[in-house]
Amino acid sequence: MQHETINGFQRGAPVLELRGITKRFPGVLANDRIDLEMRAGEIHAILGENGAGKTTLMKILYGMLQPDEGEIYIRGQRVKFHSPQDAIALGIGMVHQNRTLVAAHTVLENIVLGHPRAGRVLNLKRAGEEVAALCERYGFKVDLKASVWQLSEGEKQVVEILKALYRGARILILDEPTSALAPSETEKLLASIQAMANDELAIVPFITHKLPIVLATSHRVTVLRGGRVTARLDTANANERILAREMVGREVIFRLERATVERGAPVLQVEGLSALSNRGYLALRNVSFTVHEGEIFGIAGVSGNGQHELAEVLAGLRPAVGGRVLLDGKDITNASTLERWRLGMGYIPAERNEVGSIGDFSLVENTAMNYYFDPQYARRGIVDYKAMRRLTEEIIAHYKVVTPGPDVRARNLSGGNLQKVILGRVLARRPRVIIANLPTQGLDVGATEFVQNQLIEAKKAGAAVLLISEDLDEVLALSDRIAPIYEGAFMGILPGGEAEREHVGAMIAGTLPKDLVV
Amino acid sequence: MFEFYARSLEASMIFTFAALGELINQRSGVLNVGIEGVMLFGATLGFIVAQTTGSYAAGFAVAILVGALLGLLHGFFTITLHGDQVVSGMGIWILGFGLTTYIGSAYAGPLGLPRIPTVFGVSPFVFLSIALVPVVWFVLSKTSLGLQIRSVGENPVVAEVSGISVARTRYLCVTVGGMLMGFAGAVYALNYNPVWNYNFLMGWGFISLALVFFSLWNPWILLGGSLLFGVFWQLALNPQLVLPGLMSRYIWRTVPFAITLVVLLLMSTPWFRAKWGAARPEALGQPYVRD
Repeated sequence: MQHETINGFQRGAPVLELRGITKRFPGVLANDRIDLEMRAGEIHAILGENGAGKTTLMKILYGMLQPDEGEIYIRGQRVKFHSPQDAIALGIGMVHQNRTLVAAHTVLENIVLGHPRAGRVLNLKRAGEEVAALCERYGFKVDLKASVWQLSEGEKQVVEILKALYRGARILILDEPTSALAPSETEKLLASIQAMANDELAIVPFITHKLPIVLATSHRVTVLRGGRVTARLDTANANERILAREMVGREVIFRLERATVERGAPVLQVEGLSALSNRGYLALRNVSFTVHEGEIFGIAGVSGNGQHELAEVLAGLRPAVGGRVLLDGKDITNASTLERWRLGMGYIPAERNEVGSIGDFSLVENTAMNYYFDPQYARRGIVDYKAMRRLTEEIIAHYKVVTPGPDVRARNLSGGNLQKVILGRVLARRPRVIIANLPTQGLDVGATEFVQNQLIEAKKAGAAVLLISEDLDEVLALSDRIAPIYEGAFMGILPGGEAEREHVGAMIAGTLPKDLVV
Repeated sequence: MFEFYARSLEASMIFTFAALGELINQRSGVLNVGIEGVMLFGATLGFIVAQTTGSYAAGFAVAILVGALLGLLHGFFTITLHGDQVVSGMGIWILGFGLTTYIGSAYAGPLGLPRIPTVFGVSPFVFLSIALVPVVWFVLSKTSLGLQIRSVGENPVVAEVSGISVARTRYLCVTVGGMLMGFAGAVYALNYNPVWNYNFLMGWGFISLALVFFSLWNPWILLGGSLLFGVFWQLALNPQLVLPGLMSRYIWRTVPFAITLVVLLLMSTPWFRAKWGAARPEALGQPYVRD
């Protein structure tokens, strides 16, 4: 190990220590005597499922929460954070998963916002030079004059990192750093993280899934489960299976069983479909495909390549500007959303909290949103809430939703449990076709496995499933056929069993591999 | 004709003061629809104080002070108590309408002070209002404070995480904004038309409010808009100047609102959003509750 000192930090020297951190919330022990040690120049991943206490620990580290017990030491000095300002002042930087940027401002304005040296009159020229130097040093590329709303998710993350570095962060906490990134963006980010670690920064990524990334980049891993540290490993001694077992508390099967089902009649036929984005440009260009009974048709792509628009057009939430959509041979291009539901379409939207549910409604009411038109549950406009309640209870039991009861508000459920309710209310109707847009995004390993298996079950039951996902491995594992989408157009349609990860990965980045003939 | 333009300019100076105050409010995310009420208060109390003391300076000072206090009141309801901004603003308007009528009726009639001398044939406040535009623009777009104000108006959560006190920034803006509105009222009652009457403003505040939306929250467009609205307002007083007998003054008076409606419609089109992005402060009208 080298022993050089840069900026007062010694490589391998502990910079941040947590001792016996405990945090209780009403009814929950979120953090239970957690000990952690972070060293300069080290990438130390914190791994855990949703609800393992990661978020709480992260907030304590950043001064957003105060621990009930335990001590925090920075370079051997005991410290107390009363607010994020204290943490920032001591060199801790945080890159949030829910981006904390002002969309209307430029990149540079976001970076200097709240900076103590910004000056009364903003000296954007000097700040720009300093930030450009940081970009140069760690290999970040972003247009400082662009407005943030114009940036991709990966670029926004770069802005967040730059903001923390510009504030002088030496300990960088990253919340789910790769969850929204394209494969190419992920690679660049990992290279930059490596460069920062070489510069004696301590990098602390908090990760729910994507275990391969943990293995590829980190030096050490700490695994949390149920608020406790269950494992502390050097990454060299870890593998995917060990980490998953420590996270979930049982063996996890990574290979999903690809059920072979006789492919039936075509259910959803899409011909030359085009649609506009919210900003008014052509986001979906002339897309054609057919999904059959007993088939999962996977659309792989990086966020913002038209797959979202496709899902909305199919669900009747966005008008098509060209092409046709047929459901069981019936033209539904201009049909209302309600007609589509009646004809047997089930929709699982990407936005669980905004579109998939109403936070202030109970689970019963949220379930009723898919049944108020069904004569079995509503007669002459009066909803049969007794029957709705029974159905909701069945969904809760069948899908193992963790909730005190069916009358709980949707907003009080965790992402995974809410997704199970949404999935359950759609599947309970035995839909002909299921449009599943990012069904496992943000879910932990256990819930992801569950949702994926339910989609396979639906397929076995004869449903046509359209799976839209940004997780390449998920698409590859589940789909019978795969369509990589790039800038609103399919790059081809590949048979699922034979598609190679590298090929699909190249295609969603817009390049056609030379050795591949489509 | 010079007289017409001079009076138009003087009308627009009042719009400019009031609308700049409202713009500062809104850039920090606080909507104050009670602008008419603040102006009525500033005008009436300024008028009374100026008349009793015989001092213009005292009148203007009181108007600014009253505006600041009403701004603080709106801030207390909306920032500290997280109340609905529209409800609080409407309350201030109704209070202003009722209370100034009650207080002011004893003072109905002309001010009775020598007129404030004109500069190049127009009120000196015309120049002050125009000079204020680049000042507000500079502060909002070139200074740290301005960046903080805009951030609070766009995304208070981000501002808070960046170490900015949302409450303090918003209080500053409602207070300064209120001062400008109160001052605008006093300019009307002490200079533009120094006669106290029942409900003498008749919508100046609401036109100023519309002007902020028209301006797309940009002080320079606001200045252009207020010059334009000033002309329309003057036409409303002398409709015979352009199209004799064709349209009544009441129709002319609605023109600024009609234009603002068209601008708002344009703003909500996909074409506009694609070209200009979001001009409206994202967090406008939303109370910020820390968790």
